[in-house]
Amino acid sequence: MATDSNAPTDKAPAQTRFIEVSRIEAGFFPFAMISPAVILILLVVGFPLLYSLYVSFTPYELLKPNSLNFTTARALRNYQKLLNDEVFWRSLWNTIVFLAVTVNLSYALSMALSQLLARVTAGQSLLRTLLMVPMMFAPILVGMQFRWFFNANVGLVNNFLISVGLIQEQGQIAWLVDVPLGMISIMIASIWMNIPVLTIILLAGTLSLPAETFEAAEVDGASGWQKFRFITFPLLAPFSYIALTIMSLDIARAFDIVRIMTDGGPARRTEMLWTYITRLAIEDTKFGLGSAMSWITVSLSVLFTLYFFRQLVKARIVR
Amino acid sequence: MITRSVGPNRGRNDLIWNAVAWVVLLLLALPAFWIIMTAFRPNVEINTFPPVWIPRRLTLEAYANMFGLNPEVQQRVAVEAYLRNSLLASGLSTVVAVSLGTLAGYAFARFRFRFHTPLFLGIMLSRAVPGVALSLPLFLLFNRVGLVNNVLGLALVYVAVNIPFTAWLMDGFFRQIPKELTESAYIDGCGHWSAFWRIELPLSLPGLATAAIFAFLAAWNEFQIVSVLARNNAAKTFPPGLFAFTEQFTVDWRGMAAMSVIMMAPAVIFVILVQRNLVSGLTFGAVKG
Amino acid sequence: MLRKLCLIVLALALISVFAVSAQDEPQYAGLDQDLSGITIKMANIGGGQYEAMYESISIFEEATGATVEIVALLDGFSMDQKLKVDFATGAADYDVAWDHTSFVAQYTPFLLPLQDYFSDDELAPFSPAILDAATIDGNLYLIPRHADISPIHYRADLYSDEAIAAAYMDATGEALTPPTNLEQIDRQARFFVENGHSTLGYTLAGKEEALTGRFYEMHFASGGSLFDENYEPTFNDEIGVAVAELLAGWYADGIIPSDTTSLLWDGVAQYFCNNDVAIKLEWYGWYAYFQDADSCAVAGNFGLARGFTGLSIGGDAVRPSGWAGAHAFSVPATAPNPEAGVQLIKFLASERVAYEEAALGFLPTRGDVWDRVIADASGAENPLDRERLELARIQVGEDFKTPPLIAEWIPFSNIFYPHLQAVILGDVSAQDGLDAAAAETREMMADAGYYD
Repeated sequence: MATDSNAPTDKAPAQTRFIEVSRIEAGFFPFAMISPAVILILLVVGFPLLYSLYVSFTPYELLKPNSLNFTTARALRNYQKLLNDEVFWRSLWNTIVFLAVTVNLSYALSMALSQLLARVTAGQSLLRTLLMVPMMFAPILVGMQFRWFFNANVGLVNNFLISVGLIQEQGQIAWLVDVPLGMISIMIASIWMNIPVLTIILLAGTLSLPAETFEAAEVDGASGWQKFRFITFPLLAPFSYIALTIMSLDIARAFDIVRIMTDGGPARRTEMLWTYITRLAIEDTKFGLGSAMSWITVSLSVLFTLYFFRQLVKARIVR
Repeated sequence: MITRSVGPNRGRNDLIWNAVAWVVLLLLALPAFWIIMTAFRPNVEINTFPPVWIPRRLTLEAYANMFGLNPEVQQRVAVEAYLRNSLLASGLSTVVAVSLGTLAGYAFARFRFRFHTPLFLGIMLSRAVPGVALSLPLFLLFNRVGLVNNVLGLALVYVAVNIPFTAWLMDGFFRQIPKELTESAYIDGCGHWSAFWRIELPLSLPGLATAAIFAFLAAWNEFQIVSVLARNNAAKTFPPGLFAFTEQFTVDWRGMAAMSVIMMAPAVIFVILVQRNLVSGLTFGAVKG
Repeated sequence: MLRKLCLIVLALALISVFAVSAQDEPQYAGLDQDLSGITIKMANIGGGQYEAMYESISIFEEATGATVEIVALLDGFSMDQKLKVDFATGAADYDVAWDHTSFVAQYTPFLLPLQDYFSDDELAPFSPAILDAATIDGNLYLIPRHADISPIHYRADLYSDEAIAAAYMDATGEALTPPTNLEQIDRQARFFVENGHSTLGYTLAGKEEALTGRFYEMHFASGGSLFDENYEPTFNDEIGVAVAELLAGWYADGIIPSDTTSLLWDGVAQYFCNNDVAIKLEWYGWYAYFQDADSCAVAGNFGLARGFTGLSIGGDAVRPSGWAGAHAFSVPATAPNPEAGVQLIKFLASERVAYEEAALGFLPTRGDVWDRVIADASGAENPLDRERLELARIQVGEDFKTPPLIAEWIPFSNIFYPHLQAVILGDVSAQDGLDAAAAETREMMADAGYYD
């Protein structure tokens, strides 16, 4: 691999020693080690994706087997349809808003939580077990739990608000219906699911920071916020990128949550690319149109992940 | 270690921080308590108003119903089938994905070769493909080769889905192992393979464990792909199985919660067993501590 | 000679007495063939209430020697998705499939026409309206099992309180009686909510096919129809707009729940169960649940009335609502043992099994079973038990109305209901929302080849 020599200066403060790896030339041996993985991925991910690219150029509908035929004249029809489809744009916009808010807030809250946990002196290990509770939930289970929590009639949240007198029994809040509460409810569920892994990584990072730096800063009279802003936060950069990369790889798991909590409704207020694909392709059995949208979604996901990976590769020195 | 605040306020501050941390984390864990309580409640306490916060009585009815121990309710939810399929698909895919991912991760960490970065990125990006986008073409293709509604087909997909993350974790882990060790192995006359197999692999066991747990849980909890590929109980795993509690008009919330508790068991065991490993496993190689 | 005649008469009388007493027991059917060694696969919908049917299957297995394997147990909508996919991929390797009058139209290319397997005598007991709904292009595709339709449910206490009745008379100039038409429901529901007699005036399921169906029903009752004879959408006519505005008004004024658009059947039933709803159209199937005092506050405090007629804007075309459906059995065209599948259906739809199912509260689809269950209910402690069945028989017989029998019913619903939700929530005006839905529907129908 070529060297990436611009990274150390801006990303790595002097106190942190990144691992330097010198790689060995080994002819075909590494290819032999990688090839099973690559072949499998090509077979199970690559080939199906290519096939769905083909399907996306046809008017294929599952219940009409004859519709799987490619004609040049109609090839781009599905894509044209989508570009003119108001719901598609709406679901794209919702997806972007959802991702932007969820990723940033998950990160910010996990950062805060990790700083809080780093100060805890009693019961660290029990607290960490509590922290990992959301990891035990399948995304679909997260969706079911939170849909129930936010149920307007019998849900925990409204009932709690009624018990403490914040709202009246008649004034139940329709969490999963109102704008923007619907999106916010889904975001809360997703963020809840994202927090453990992010916090664990950031906490481990925080605990590994050298104490001398902070002592020096204290001598200079730095406030807690200043210490965080100018010392902890920059030093945590590599951990942050690991955390964000993991999250970006797993973000599509949020689909299960959306599907269970609102399924894109009501009135498409929370429609996202994933729910719209499911509706078009699985429920209406329009595989051609669904595949076209899948491809747009795949492209976006890949770009999104690519961005984090570039950051990660920059943060790690590879020589 | 992080600095602690110094001065007369230190004791009081610590107390406040500890209290805040406990409150926040108990809130975070609340859904787990709730799901467990729901599983063991009498049915009349579910969906009532005003709500019953703490169950007045604990009961195993939901489990008796589920496992067919209640003569009044014939068993209709195929828990055993879901368990078998979940274990098979997740177990098989974990073993294969971790093996292949470790090989790939090692190659990326140790060797210089053509297309190193594109290959690495390509593998990683395959993980970014959303399951819903993959499930459609997989269904069409698998249907032609008889892998639809087949646990092995499902396991195959999970292998491919889990390789990238494993390769990435293991790449990081192998970087952490000092290169001097490998170099000394070569001096001792080891080939590439035995250097990997005899020296580096044993050192990377904690990373391997982390990778295995993540792969297992990812497969165990996966829903988008299995909901399309599994047509009936012959291949259904727990996540689509949860919908068996949805009847024509109603949902058996307690039954669902009861099965969810079973479904969460492996995750609970893993998290408790490997809490410490998980931390070091996930932060692999970002910093040499 | 006379003596002989007497003997013959006596003998005949005896025989007929035996015959009558034999007939007095509901009979099984479909047990007359030896099916030893055959495994009949069945894909069906699940649920605790179906236990009776599954128990009776063992009787079929013993009598015929067949083995019945249940290959799927899902809820109705999941089953619909499964069937579509299985049919399309040729994976429907079962002999009996669950079916429903609302869904059957989309499956017809993949189902076995059943008219040749059933004699006229065998079909005679079934409700003609339901068999009509099961017959498409002259082919009978399903055998009904039980049906459901919705009467008005109302809280009895609100209609028996003289003070409330007097106040209602003062406010509106009409007597307070259980409502018979939509405008009355609107007046009463608003009156109950505004005066604090009831938390909510009305409820309805607010998403997916449930919402589409409820709209269809109100539109139909008001004299409208979703499509004209050329399958051009007509639901955005002035009747449709009036219905949509009625719903939007109810939502804005808190007559229906704030989370209406996330409610399905269980959610709306919950509100009524809690005694929070004055009036609602609800399926007969919930009766046992509502009468269970352990789970429902409304138990013993509600009455039933025939489905409402629509808005007066429809003029002479106004008629009783009657969105109905029947659960049924079909045989896939790809069934490995279609004859054995038909035998199982004959058994499961027989008078005896249907009667046992009806005893659980399902509405029968056979005249002979209706007679029996109504007679049985005569001795019931609660007179509503019998009234309910008599009312249901009238509704199933006279008002039974499926949605348009087009394969695109569900795709249409998926286009339609989000637009109607937007109208209800106040995001768009009724006219704009329905127009947009009509334009999209037209495009979908054009793609499906309806206007070629």
